[in-house]
Amino acid sequence: MRRMRRREMLAAAAAAGVLTATGRPARAGSAAAIAVEAAKKLGPQEITIVWEAGLQSLDPLNFSGPLWEKQTGIKVKVIEVPTAEMFTKILQEHRAGTGAYDALNVIPAWMADLVRAGALEPLDPYVDKYGYRDELKEIAPVYRDNQMTVGGKIYGFPDDGDVFVMYYRKDVLGDPKVQATYKAKTGKDMPVPPKTWEELADVAAAINEATGKKPYGCAFFREPPYMQFMFQERFRNNGGKFFDAATMKATINSEAGLKTFQGWLKENELGPPGMVSWGFVENLAAFLKGDTAITISWPPYGRWAAGYGTEEKALSWVPKSQIAGKVGYAMPPGGHPQLAAGFSLCVSASSKKKEAAYLFIQWLNSKEISLQRVQLPYALRDPFRESHFASEEYRKRWPEAPEYLAALQAGAVNGLLDLSLIQTDKYEEALRQGISRLWAGEDPKKILDDVAAQWDRITQQIGVERQKAAYAEWAAKPNAYPKL
Amino acid sequence: MAAAVGAAGVRHEPARAPWVDRHFRWLLVAPATFVILLVGLFPFVYTLLVSFQNITMLEEDTSFQGFANYARLLSDTRFWEALGHTLIFLAIALPAELVLGFLLALLFLEKMPGRQIFVALIVLPVVVSPIVAGATWRLLFDNRFGPINQILSWIAGEPVTILWINNPTFVYPAILLAEIWQWTPFMFLLLWAALNEVDRSQLEAAEIDGASWWQRLWWVVLPAIRPVVIIALLIRGLDLFRLFDVVWGLTRGGPGTMTETISIYTYVVGFQQFETSYAAAMALVIILLLSAVVMTALDRVAIAR
Repeated sequence: MRRMRRREMLAAAAAAGVLTATGRPARAGSAAAIAVEAAKKLGPQEITIVWEAGLQSLDPLNFSGPLWEKQTGIKVKVIEVPTAEMFTKILQEHRAGTGAYDALNVIPAWMADLVRAGALEPLDPYVDKYGYRDELKEIAPVYRDNQMTVGGKIYGFPDDGDVFVMYYRKDVLGDPKVQATYKAKTGKDMPVPPKTWEELADVAAAINEATGKKPYGCAFFREPPYMQFMFQERFRNNGGKFFDAATMKATINSEAGLKTFQGWLKENELGPPGMVSWGFVENLAAFLKGDTAITISWPPYGRWAAGYGTEEKALSWVPKSQIAGKVGYAMPPGGHPQLAAGFSLCVSASSKKKEAAYLFIQWLNSKEISLQRVQLPYALRDPFRESHFASEEYRKRWPEAPEYLAALQAGAVNGLLDLSLIQTDKYEEALRQGISRLWAGEDPKKILDDVAAQWDRITQQIGVERQKAAYAEWAAKPNAYPKL
Repeated sequence: MAAAVGAAGVRHEPARAPWVDRHFRWLLVAPATFVILLVGLFPFVYTLLVSFQNITMLEEDTSFQGFANYARLLSDTRFWEALGHTLIFLAIALPAELVLGFLLALLFLEKMPGRQIFVALIVLPVVVSPIVAGATWRLLFDNRFGPINQILSWIAGEPVTILWINNPTFVYPAILLAEIWQWTPFMFLLLWAALNEVDRSQLEAAEIDGASWWQRLWWVVLPAIRPVVIIALLIRGLDLFRLFDVVWGLTRGGPGTMTETISIYTYVVGFQQFETSYAAAMALVIILLLSAVVMTALDRVAIAR
């Protein structure tokens, strides 16, 4: 079994390598083929695209950029920008009007702000001109219906199925000793996987007790930039609403907010010491080493835990998985995961090569090319089309890939949108600071009251009526709040 | 000025010097004046102008709004807290760097084996970029993989998990340690150079007169190096007032806004929240505060004269 798995891994890595080097030609008449044919007519030129620095940008640098150039003669220059600076750079460039950026990667929650600033080009005319509407419909509904339009117009193509998934050690949770401990403590059979946060805490406590914290029952990243997504998810799963829709008074300090903060503090006790300082990598390392039994994160954790593609040089920093074949995938407690961040492909309104930029993003986002891109082991783009979830090719990537894809698909149905208002980052910044104060030991209720007061001040500055309208538009989207 | 009178009694107007000759001195200073106006006065006036507007990168409305940004600043507790944090760093780091730098300078005043090597090693932190220093200290302070906690664990004989940059008790010492580590060598270099320039004959005379080591230090050495000390304090004081990199690298102003300095807050407002006009108002208030402090200090120590 072990040898078999290793062989499968190598085959998968080899397949990914072949994919990296060549790509596959587009089917005639497909959106990808239309884009290629139209781009050829534009003649040789260079377009720029803003992409998140690091692993994400290896997609256009190693795969899609060279392939596009080979097929169309149009060279792609990748401008790598750290996530934290992407919004600023895009906006600054737009204000300066240099036309330095042609195509953009934009976090969907930013789209409303960028559209208001006039930085994004409406894409509907191009979509119709180049026959992309049908393929757009095949994007999973949660992304298509929530992350594509602003004010009814298309401004971006959802291109990354970012969603939080719960990963758990099937061998640990299936251990009879752990299950007996759980039953002795709670009087109930142990739920595998846990479906509520209370169940998760009890399961983690049982693991700690039964295994002597080898592994720890649970662990999560705790850095505030990630945790504000976690807060948004859990707060809404706890029944919370961000604002009173009638008055726009912040209601983040409600019972749901307090329950979220108190739950986190309880879980900190169940995880490894020092967990409150963990970021994405620390949590990943602990889980892949087998030090922790349950965690929640973005989809790459699942692929790397299975060992998929981690032989790639670009992933040499990812610790060797000690838990391949032992990981189960499920929705986080509450059942409605955060569609944390994600990316949409957009065209810059100040681009001087809009046509070429559009054709490139249509090609990238198309059914055929995107399927190849989401299988690149290193590039961090996660499945976002129905066809990705159903792909036989993807399902064969590692033995548990079908379960993995099923979990992502469930997230694509039940996922919750990131909050998106006018100047969203100000609200998020206040929340991030609040979370940071929570880790410093301040009183949860006081923190939440302070954050709510800050949110009210921000709303006042922006204008209550304007923000009320923006919130109403966001809240009306199908995945703004769970249907509890 | 009387006109010249010729031999025949005819008055001659003196030959007027060419325009270039008459204005030569102004022509010489014009480029420097232009550059100063361009890089100094223009940004100041422009910032002043912007501070009365309502410019944010996210809004189209850029209308003038009088003193609204300044009024907001008065009631912005985060601004005043950030100023307070900055002053705390200044009040602790500046004397610590001065004292440590001075002690090091005294130590290396006498010739000793390997002095050049030690001095070179001591000065190394200054050549490290502050943002890199911050990031490096962040790794050193990491509770899981950082060597500081590991060393403490060896000493304690049990695992030590101090959350240096999350725990309010430890976060200031952690930042101050990084800051003092990096900039004490700068003080050391300046003071070392100054100490080497102290007139030996005065020290010898004082010694012959029976002055103790302390008396020589107090009455001869310190007065001799006073101008350098003051300049060093001014340079480091101004540096500490605009403290950004190390804190950003270590804590980003956290936990919450507990270690947020005035520079970090201005950066957040200007470049993360895009409130250009409000950030301009903040910058101007900081400039005015700093200018007042510097002028007062210079006036007190008579350096300006």
